[in-house]
Amino acid sequence: MAQLYAVLIGPFADMAGAPLFLVEVLIGGIASGLLYSLVALGFVLIFKASGVFNFAQGVMVLFAALTLVGLLERGVPAPLALALTVLVMIALAFAIERLVLRPLVNQEHIILFMATIGLNFFLEGLGEMVWGANVKKLDLGIPDESFKFAGVLLNKLEMTAAATAAVLVAVLAVFFQKTRIGRALRAVADDHEAALSIGIPLRTIWVVVWSVAGVVAIAAGIMWGAKSGVQFSLSLIALKALPVLILGGFTSVPGAIVGGLIIGIGEKLGEVYWGPLVGGAIENWFAYVLALVFLLFRPQGLFGERIIERV
Amino acid sequence: MTGGEPLLSVQGISVAFGAVQALAGVSLDIARGEIVAIIGPNGAGKTTLLNVISGFYHPYEGRILFQGRDRTRLRPFEVASLGIARTFQNVALFKGMSVLDNIMTGRLLKMRGSFLLDAAWWGPARRQELEHRAFVERIIDFLEIQAIRKTPAGRLPYGLQKRVELARALAAEPTLLLLDEPMAGMNVEEKEDMCRFILDVHGDFGTTIALIEHDMSVVMDVSDRVAVLDYGRKIADGTPDAVRADPAVMDAYLGVAHV
Repeated sequence: MAQLYAVLIGPFADMAGAPLFLVEVLIGGIASGLLYSLVALGFVLIFKASGVFNFAQGVMVLFAALTLVGLLERGVPAPLALALTVLVMIALAFAIERLVLRPLVNQEHIILFMATIGLNFFLEGLGEMVWGANVKKLDLGIPDESFKFAGVLLNKLEMTAAATAAVLVAVLAVFFQKTRIGRALRAVADDHEAALSIGIPLRTIWVVVWSVAGVVAIAAGIMWGAKSGVQFSLSLIALKALPVLILGGFTSVPGAIVGGLIIGIGEKLGEVYWGPLVGGAIENWFAYVLALVFLLFRPQGLFGERIIERV
Repeated sequence: MTGGEPLLSVQGISVAFGAVQALAGVSLDIARGEIVAIIGPNGAGKTTLLNVISGFYHPYEGRILFQGRDRTRLRPFEVASLGIARTFQNVALFKGMSVLDNIMTGRLLKMRGSFLLDAAWWGPARRQELEHRAFVERIIDFLEIQAIRKTPAGRLPYGLQKRVELARALAAEPTLLLLDEPMAGMNVEEKEDMCRFILDVHGDFGTTIALIEHDMSVVMDVSDRVAVLDYGRKIADGTPDAVRADPAVMDAYLGVAHV
């Protein structure tokens, strides 16, 4: 009985007992959830447009952050460094289209996936060769300190990151859902040949989505880099995007957003209220367990296209 | 054939895949407002010819003029923007998208304007979307597929998928429509419907049509002119009756005794 109470009732009593603290936890969850959504969006865009699961997305985050910090360390002023990094990521998109996607057009998805694994190692090596492998500090000039707003304790850095992510996510969502580019994207994802026949320039679309994924990677790299330093582990945050994708569906932009928020909030709530029962560290595995449950009961995710099998 | 310069002029094109000569010096003129059927035994190079016209393959020899200008080396999306639409032998629909969305994609080239306006779903962008939507609804009525507008294309029976593919091609308001076996795999009733649609498209929109077809009764009913390919060469070109009586065509279809 006591155990049941501790699992099913105790945590909710705690929440009701300290509503302000609950709000703080929720805001923390939303903040990290938005960052997950941002990384997941990078995957979704590329997956939609080229049917490729881009294994190199995480390394693109690392590469973008390394480039930015590297330029800053060499005394390039911040706005210029940011602009240059954007250019580098766009150049990368052109190179990927020309050297990886174009020669492999109409190949099996698994072959393209393997190609992105190659890309992953290439970018990792290139980044470390050019910019060095040591941990770098990324200082945005926003202090990592807290302030009180309406009685709720908030972190400045976290709030800035969350606000930026929210704006980016909103812009991307509208851009790709509401515009004819969105329809062109879905068309390209569905059938390359047919898309060409109705006048969609495949190569342009690919360069566009990889560029956008590159810019998303810069944003994610800056936010995570400012929090925990620019280092190899940045490329692992892409792993956190996997459960988000499984939750939201690989082809759904709203899915990536909602999935990210669910996982962000879920793991924070779990950690704070249920963590003590199992000795903590729920935050590290919560997302993956949730993803497993989804795979069992709703493999297409919350918003993904239904998997229809004809018998 | 009507006078004046042809809408499309294919001049002596050759295509090879490795050692296989798919097309050898094929020429074909298509006049504005014509329905031309391209026939021939399996492997004769019919689909290759269509793919060359729509820019999917490029010939190593010969040229293609469309509306009097050299269009030999254009890529598929550029060909589409010139007003050449096509369907595929094995139906290339966007299977996850609804029938309506599939047909809307046919309008992509007609849509203009800035992404920002699109994104804001504001003013001209909104008006534009509605205009295109109205046009697409006309095509849906025309091809009698109102009942399946919201159905994902992948779930439709084959005959209807072919019809939706035709609708998508029509949505681009093409000057030249290329149909690769529009009636393959259809039952008699569906074939009759498709025949009627092709003739109606031609009659109502004045679209020039080139089609590949195996069913001879269809070919004879629909087309103004028939071109026959065999082993990558054009062996006959003329009215349906003339072609039917041509001994070279009989040989190609029935086989010829080589003594």
